[in-house]
Amino acid sequence: MAMTEQIVIGPMLAALGSIVLTLSTRRFRRLQRAVSVAGGLAYAGAVGALAWRVVLGAGPAAYQVGGVDAPFGITLVADELSAFMLVIAGAVGAASIAFSAAYVDPDNQAVFYHPLFHCLLLGVAGSFLTGDLFNLFVWFEVMLMASYVFVAFYGGEQHTAAALRYLVLNVFGGALLLLGVGGLYAVTGTLNMADMARRLAAPAAYGIDVEPVLGLSALLFAAFALKAGLVPFQFWVPGAYRAAPLPVVAMLAGVTKKVGVYAIVRLYFTVLGGLPVQVDVLGVTGDSALALLGPVLLLTGTASIVLGGLGAVVRDTFEETFAYSSIGQVGFIVVPVGVAAMADAEPLRRFAIAAALVYALHHALAKGLLFLATGAVRSATGTNRLADLGGLAGRSPLLGATFFVGSLSLVGIPPLTGFFGKFLVFDAAVRRAAATGAAGAAGVVVALLVGAVLTILYTSRTWTRCFWGARTPPVEDAAVDPAHAAAGAALDREGYVDVIDPVGGVEE
Amino acid sequence: MKTTARIVVPIVFVVAISLLLQGHNLPGGGFIGGVLTTGAFALIYVAHGLDYLEVGVLGRDVEPGAGVFEHRTVTAYERAFILGLAIAIGSGFAALLFGEPFLSQTYEIVHDVPIYHEIELATALVFDVGVYLVVVGGLLTILSVVGAE
Repeated sequence: MAMTEQIVIGPMLAALGSIVLTLSTRRFRRLQRAVSVAGGLAYAGAVGALAWRVVLGAGPAAYQVGGVDAPFGITLVADELSAFMLVIAGAVGAASIAFSAAYVDPDNQAVFYHPLFHCLLLGVAGSFLTGDLFNLFVWFEVMLMASYVFVAFYGGEQHTAAALRYLVLNVFGGALLLLGVGGLYAVTGTLNMADMARRLAAPAAYGIDVEPVLGLSALLFAAFALKAGLVPFQFWVPGAYRAAPLPVVAMLAGVTKKVGVYAIVRLYFTVLGGLPVQVDVLGVTGDSALALLGPVLLLTGTASIVLGGLGAVVRDTFEETFAYSSIGQVGFIVVPVGVAAMADAEPLRRFAIAAALVYALHHALAKGLLFLATGAVRSATGTNRLADLGGLAGRSPLLGATFFVGSLSLVGIPPLTGFFGKFLVFDAAVRRAAATGAAGAAGVVVALLVGAVLTILYTSRTWTRCFWGARTPPVEDAAVDPAHAAAGAALDREGYVDVIDPVGGVEE
Repeated sequence: MKTTARIVVPIVFVVAISLLLQGHNLPGGGFIGGVLTTGAFALIYVAHGLDYLEVGVLGRDVEPGAGVFEHRTVTAYERAFILGLAIAIGSGFAALLFGEPFLSQTYEIVHDVPIYHEIELATALVFDVGVYLVVVGGLLTILSVVGAE
């Protein structure tokens, strides 16, 4: 195998190496922090090199771990979709780990914070890269193991309760996932995604019953939707986000939720895309698994948008507002995926997927930025209650500006990523409404509009309450650490750069 | 209980090591070997109490009420975990040096060894030893710390 191919596994090796190095330097706290941040940068660098190789260079690459051939060995596949998602993970991951080093207090950092963070990055990279369905389950678990500890990290009563809920729910989701994967293996006789896609495209030749595949894929869908926090599985989100350290929440909201969305796209478009099956359930008819996925995604997506938006408007702390906001924003990502699933014409399908990806990038950057800014506010003033804050913008212009840019991006003001994301999502929904002329399609557009208005409402509410007006005592006494605001601001700039996104451009 | 432990523990250790060594081409391996070893340790803890390894075997003084994290055995378990992780991942990295994919394994059969006649030396054993140390270190840390509470 040529040397250049080793880059496919690069991000995972960077994370693995960082885990060992941060564990072995844990007695030397400053060194450990430096190693950890360097590891985060190495991860981002490896992701960048891989994306360069895949998108601008030689195209998709496959890698057989341990040199065992497919379909028996574990294959890693880096195509445009994986590379794009990895870029999101690399950008948010590097910023979050740098912010953690300054934000989380040193005693807590010494308790396995850094190795676990890299474990989270490892699980994310593995999920995006793997080309094997069972291996996807394994990487999900790696990611979840780290998240459990982070939700319980501060060890208080409410943190432990949140962690227990999170754990039970995800063990249940994991069981569903395992059941679905096992069932698919029994039906198709393979776990390799490419091999499975090939067999499912010609089920008669391999003696595959198509009906069980649909049911099993629904199990997988439920597990992935749980991970993505879609309605009706959204209830774990606020509790977990309130409990975990804020830099980790930036990762959970920005990246691990996208893993769920990515897995849905990967499963239905890559693996089940070619499955010829007659669907006729509850008035939904079609000739592929996508016909079933589309209405479900549109329904859960619009419900997420409305519920998340309404929830965010009435919360009284930063974390809860943004936790509900990210429920709504994930809705904005899956609605175009649903449009793509129901699209008859190939151009609309490609366009809608590109819209979803651009929105995913936007949400990862904007929400990552806002959670890091929330961390900066908390460490400066000691509170995150909206009622206790006021006049922050005058107290710290840099922090104010960071937050302002994040909010504007969330609302969708050009030239920030949010504008392109929202624009493409609306465009996709409107195109579908124009193409079908159905009342449901128009309803989706209306729901998107309601969601956008709610976004304006809750971002302007947090902004006017906390950053304008008279300074409250906690704000007056605040000591703003410039390093904290700077870590957030770094993510800001990435927001501008990534607008010129190669994948979105190519797909369009 | 103590008599049983005296007889059973050495047998369990021998079986655990043999499972570890044959793991690359027979049933066994680092994981199950490590779990068995931990089982033997658990038997010692149950039979002799938490301080036995520290006081009775290693001859160290334990400050009363210092907490189990002060035990040097626990530090040793943590070190074993980290060392094992480093060995397992390092064995994967070694394959990269030869231009092979991560975690690639190979083996060599050595002939004309006295008594054994021939021995198979597999690189997978290095990875297994790493896994063994991770399992032993991790499980014993949990066992001793949770056991103390």
